[in-house]
Amino acid sequence: MIERQLTLIMENKPGALARVVGLFHQRGYNIDSLHVDPIEDFSPYKFIEDELDVKFSIGEVSRLVIKTTVADSLMRQILRQINKLIEVIAVSDEDSTYLKGILRDENLL
Amino acid sequence: MKLAGNDMLIQSLINEGVEYIFGYPGGAALHIYDSIFKQSEMQHILVRHEQGATHAADGYARATGKPGVVMVTSGPGATNAITGIATAFMDSIPMVVISGQVQSHLIGTDAFQETDMIGISRPIVKHSFTVDHQSNIPQIVKEAFHIATSGRQGPVVIDIPKDLTNPDDLFDYEYPEEVNIRSYNPPVKPEATQIERVVDAIFNSKKPVIYAGGGTISSNASKELIELNSYINVPVTNTLMGLGVYPATDDKFLGMLGMHGTYQANMAMHNADLILAIGARFDDRITNTPEKFAPRAQIVHFDVDHSSVSKIIEADIAVFGQVKDSLQAINELIKDRLSELDTTKFDQWHAQISKWKSEHGLNHNLYKDNSDENPILPQAAVQHIYQESKGKAFVTSDVGQHQMFAAQYYHFDEPRKWINSGGLGTMGFGLPSAMGVKLAYPDEEVICITGEGSIQMCIQELSTCSQYKLPIKIFNINNLALGMVKQWQDMNYDGRHSSISYEDSLPDFKELVESYGHVGIKITKNSDLKKGIEEAFSIKDKLVFVDIYVDPNEHVYPMLVAPNGSLKDMWLAKGSKT
Repeated sequence: MIERQLTLIMENKPGALARVVGLFHQRGYNIDSLHVDPIEDFSPYKFIEDELDVKFSIGEVSRLVIKTTVADSLMRQILRQINKLIEVIAVSDEDSTYLKGILRDENLL
Repeated sequence: MKLAGNDMLIQSLINEGVEYIFGYPGGAALHIYDSIFKQSEMQHILVRHEQGATHAADGYARATGKPGVVMVTSGPGATNAITGIATAFMDSIPMVVISGQVQSHLIGTDAFQETDMIGISRPIVKHSFTVDHQSNIPQIVKEAFHIATSGRQGPVVIDIPKDLTNPDDLFDYEYPEEVNIRSYNPPVKPEATQIERVVDAIFNSKKPVIYAGGGTISSNASKELIELNSYINVPVTNTLMGLGVYPATDDKFLGMLGMHGTYQANMAMHNADLILAIGARFDDRITNTPEKFAPRAQIVHFDVDHSSVSKIIEADIAVFGQVKDSLQAINELIKDRLSELDTTKFDQWHAQISKWKSEHGLNHNLYKDNSDENPILPQAAVQHIYQESKGKAFVTSDVGQHQMFAAQYYHFDEPRKWINSGGLGTMGFGLPSAMGVKLAYPDEEVICITGEGSIQMCIQELSTCSQYKLPIKIFNINNLALGMVKQWQDMNYDGRHSSISYEDSLPDFKELVESYGHVGIKITKNSDLKKGIEEAFSIKDKLVFVDIYVDPNEHVYPMLVAPNGSLKDMWLAKGSKT
């Protein structure tokens, strides 16, 4: 088991963070560290805007970074569970990214 | 048009085409109930406990495919709804639950009847909304119904503080025609390359099995499944949640698989070289020990939910998307390539399955053993119910031995006819869910097969049935104990029967239901069984409760050997295993 880092882009709405944190507890995964802040510079995420055909404005979307120590085999399951949360727009680990239901074989975030 | 929050909420439900609201009023929901009073397009069904409201809405949803709608007040109203929400969540049933909340300025002050409904329900909902302003109500309701009914379906909670339903504050109302949630995009179309791989796998297999579950029903893909098997003609098993999606009376049907599945279904799965898992999720009641599951099988998994695939059993080929779309695509391709398929290559496999069936299949002659010296067998009771209802009824059930006997001996030929709590295993589900089904289909026969343990968990709804004149047939498979727990205690705890008996405290169910204005029938011996059940079916305009005293020592078999067993390891009778 090694420490893995997950990056999420999610709607900055009340309760959204609680859904992510709750999911870790509910599914029996542990959180080593967690950092969240609203995104102010969207230039690195323009590909998301293009892909989803949306335009983010300041304060609308947050970036969440979670470190967790889990078995490799569980990582895909965690990604998929997080991807299912309605307010999560994209989620990446070191190897892949889910961009709303669509899996990419690279870390885009 | 300008409306107040309470009227907006109700008008939004009308715009969604809601027919019934199942609910219970209270302080925080008073403004909303005033709006319900003022309209006539939807009917509110007043239950006797909020759990009953959620199960009734759930039964309505399972039978019709349309979302069930629940209305409760804050605090205890909301918490009482939790078991029913969890039931719907585990079985992916579309439901919208609206809970009143204390006024915005009181939130967080431990106000009267305040509870954090969003927090409490978070792990058991697909999504939830807190209404923050009246003008957002139409959009929130639209999104809630969209989320509940698309992708992998599930319950959605809308929590609305009382001040936002105040009849004096008017805002512009317009119900959105479309909904587009940028962060929510369930997969729709399967990938063509995967479809080709599946067809190749079928054409290359010798021992294929179709294993279809509740997702096939949710996706309304029964017709497509039957069409698929008209081309490939392979054995089909259904999960507890999938019963009815493939006709049980078809000769390719193996019966249910899993914990109490048939011998031939479990053996077929264990020995298969190809498993087509369609809208099924390899639940622990299906796989037994996952490491020992179907050791030689290639696994094809059709699912709308990414996270279900390769969660328990690694899939060799995954097909994401609505099962209906995926099966349509498979059927199109198979039709083109049908000349490549020689189905006689499955003959040996079919012969093997017939042999298993004749060796240890379910005994369908149980109902013939009708001497009064023997107690009534619960399986025989179900067989009579099946015959008298001609296999056409909607059957709801509770949880326990009676549920398994119903699943084994009532043969469902159509989807959405078998209504039970598969994932959560909620006792108390049967009666209220039957109310929802009966309201949706007033002219159809609706049966609840229950036990004397389960029925008492929501027995208060007998009163609701009386108020709304719901002529359901309730068959109480009465073994005077919590039968499934007792069975486990017999098998694993040397027969130490801990807390499974009510001693002599059971009510006389006949008298009890008669006090609600219903008809009660009590059957205690074999010679009265057929007659009593016939009598029940002859009464059309009243709820009939048939209390059937059955053998208190009967066990449900087959039963998977656990822990560490595989699907071929089964108890076949008391003291006898494979």
